[in-house]
This record gives sequence, C-alpha cells and structure tokens, in this order.
Amino acid sequence: MNEKDRLEILKDILFTEDREDIDKIANRIELLEQAYNSREKFASRVDPIVEEQLDKFTKSIPHTLGPTITATLKKEIQNHKDEVVDALYPVLGKMVKKYVAQEIKVLSEKIDNQLSFISAWKRKLRSFFGGSKEKELLLDDIGGEKIEQVMLIERGSGLLKASFSKTETIDEEMISGMLTAIKTFVEDAFNQKNQELELIEYELYNIHIQSFVNYYVAVVISGAYSLKAKDKVQDIIFDFYHNFMEMNLDLIYTSRHLEQPVDTISSKLIQKKLAEYFGNAKI
Amino acid sequence: MQKSKKIVILGHFGVGKTSLIQRFVKDSFSDKYKVTIGVHITKKIVEVNENDSISLIIWDLEGTDEVQMIRQAYLLGTHGVVFVFDVSRPSTFQNLNSDLKIVAEKTPDTPLIIVGNKIDLVIQDELQSLLKDNNIEANYLTSAKTGDAVNEMFTHLATLLNDLT
Repeated sequence: MNEKDRLEILKDILFTEDREDIDKIANRIELLEQAYNSREKFASRVDPIVEEQLDKFTKSIPHTLGPTITATLKKEIQNHKDEVVDALYPVLGKMVKKYVAQEIKVLSEKIDNQLSFISAWKRKLRSFFGGSKEKELLLDDIGGEKIEQVMLIERGSGLLKASFSKTETIDEEMISGMLTAIKTFVEDAFNQKNQELELIEYELYNIHIQSFVNYYVAVVISGAYSLKAKDKVQDIIFDFYHNFMEMNLDLIYTSRHLEQPVDTISSKLIQKKLAEYFGNAKI
Repeated sequence: MQKSKKIVILGHFGVGKTSLIQRFVKDSFSDKYKVTIGVHITKKIVEVNENDSISLIIWDLEGTDEVQMIRQAYLLGTHGVVFVFDVSRPSTFQNLNSDLKIVAEKTPDTPLIIVGNKIDLVIQDELQSLLKDNNIEANYLTSAKTGDAVNEMFTHLATLLNDLT
C-alpha cells in the first residue's frame, strides 16, 4: 500500500458523512430541477402564491393605482375634450331625447284620441267636396318622408367629409360650404350662445341639421317631415355618429400605440357607412 | 375624395374680390358692380403639379371698410386668406398694414396673400411709387378685367396649401 492509497482510505474515513450530505443535496437539486422544468408541477406550487398575490393586488388597486389612473384619465380627457364630448354626445343626446320623446308621445296620444274623430270628419268632408277618395287623402295624411341625401360636414371650415345621395345634385362641396355659411350666419346673427340651426324648410324638402363638436350632419328629406320621422332621423344620425366617433377613437389609439401620426378615416369608408345607415332607412 | 381647402377672400367694398374669383373660376368679367351680401361660395379644382390637384373652396366674403367687423365665424377652419385692395383707390390701402395685422390676428398660422387689384386702371410707373410711398408689399398685382396674374395668384396659393399638408 503506497502513500496515495493510504490517503484515499483516510479520505473515506474522514468525509463519508459529508459525501452522503452532498449526495442528498444533489438529489434535492435534481428534484427541484424536475419540478421547475415540469410546468404542471411548478404551476401546482406557484399558482396558489400568484393567485394570492394577485388577489391582494386587485384589492389594493383603488388605493395604490387609483389616484394614478384618475390623474391619467383626467389629463387624457382634458387633452382630448372635443373627442370625448363628441363620443358622449350621441349617447347622452339619445337618452335625453328618448325620455322627452316618450313623454311627448304620451301627451300626443291623449290629444290624438280627442281629435281623431274630428280628423275623420274633416277627411270625409274634403273627400266629398274635393272629389278625392278618402283613402288617398288618408295616405296623404300619413306622409311619405324619404331620405334623399346625407352629408357629414366639418364645422367651421364647412368642408365636406363624406356624403351619400340617392339623387343627382349640384356640387356637394359647394352645398356643404353654403349650408355652413347659412348656419354660421344664423347662429352668429342672433347671438344666442349654444343655439344651433336645426332645420331648413323649402317646399317639399327639409334639411335636418344635427350639430356635434367637430362635425355636423345634414340630412335632406323629401315629403312631409313629421315629428315621428324627425325622431327616427335623429336616432339614425346618433347611431351613425357614435360609430364614426368610435372609428376616430380607435384610429387615435392605434396611431398612438404604433407611435405613428394620427391619420384620418378615408372618405370612402365614411361614405360606405353613410349608405349603410341612411341608404335604406325607413323613417 | 379630392383634398379640399377652404380659402377666404377679404378686402374693402368694391376692390374686385368677386371679379377676381369670377375671372379665376369662369374666366369671365363683368363691368356691372353687384354687391356681395353675406358670403358666396364657389369651387375650383386646381392642378398643383403633374400628378396632384386640389379642390379650392373659395369663400367670397362681403366687403367691409372695417376689417375688425369681419364675422369671425366665417373665418373658422380656413386654410388660406387672400386680402385684396384696389390700387386705384387709396382709401382701400391707406391702412393696409394695420388691416393686415387684424387679419393675421383673426386667422393665426394661416398663409396670407396680399393682392393689389385693378392695375389696368393705373400707370405702371405711378403704381410702383404709390406702393413704395405707402410702404406696401403686395404679393401679386392683378387685373380681374384683363386676367393679369389672377391664375398665377390662386395657383400659387393652392400649391402652397398642398405643400403644407
């Protein structure tokens, strides 16, 4: 037995216990590695902890992130007031209008009940003296309003953003400019703050004007323009404008997200939307 | 849809604003003076280069001797301004620089073109000294009657507006 062998025996005697410990540690590391590499095993251990932390985090949002979110929202709303008002206006307008319209409808029905028998007698007399059939007169009374043309116009500049028309008219860009000039003059001349020109009547045609912050919508309607038709036209305008503003906000968001300058929605797309909303609308 | 730009034509009464537009849009001229009431709108598509054209929506505003009295609402969203004076009537340019200052305040950050019209009514040499004496720097000297520099002036503005976007 040489010196080297003796040294090995001595090592065996002295470090047996340590070696066992090292083996145990190696085994544990191996188990841990397996657990770490196996998603399921790892998840079963970690998930409850994450869930608990997430729960705590969710509960603490109002206290921790709340003020930051509120401040950010405030800042964003301040920076994009027009967009926010434009986005909310159709929704709020619709709510208020629906409520008022409902109340008026109730009142109108009551009056109609009182007057219906008078109207029937009037029609009979007109039929008797005028020679027309009572059925024709009844149809005349019902109306026959039709949307002929719609224009989305930029306020102030009067530039036409998009339009949809069922009939041939003179240059729409000139119409939108002139409409804006008339609207501007009326609103300016009477110096009434927050008052908007809403309707232009000419013989068998009416132009319904619905103003928003950045744009206004002008709808040309043929036939007798009843209150009921006006209600429907307003609903269609609000629905269209809501959709248009959503498209705008999406665009602003996407542009910011991609850190690209804000582009505008193409006129063709808006025109398509105008045709969709107003083209076959029954009023 | 074509790119559209709104321009407004401003100036005192009878300086030839409507005639300039008439010459540019319809290539015609009438000696009869018709007062513009309120505003009149016309449109012309202008070729700014080989591949590009722009639709000019021209707002012809009624003349006023008090530039301050111009309705602000008509100027909203305008992309370019043309201020016209009559070279044959000193009352229309005597206060030109202060008038231009008011216009610039009413239409901030908007290109402004200064036009001296009716040059057919004055002698060329006298015109130059008249402008110098009154410290006037006109961008264009035009005649709606003969058509001198009218197209150039509007086309220049259209090109300017096209390049700005």
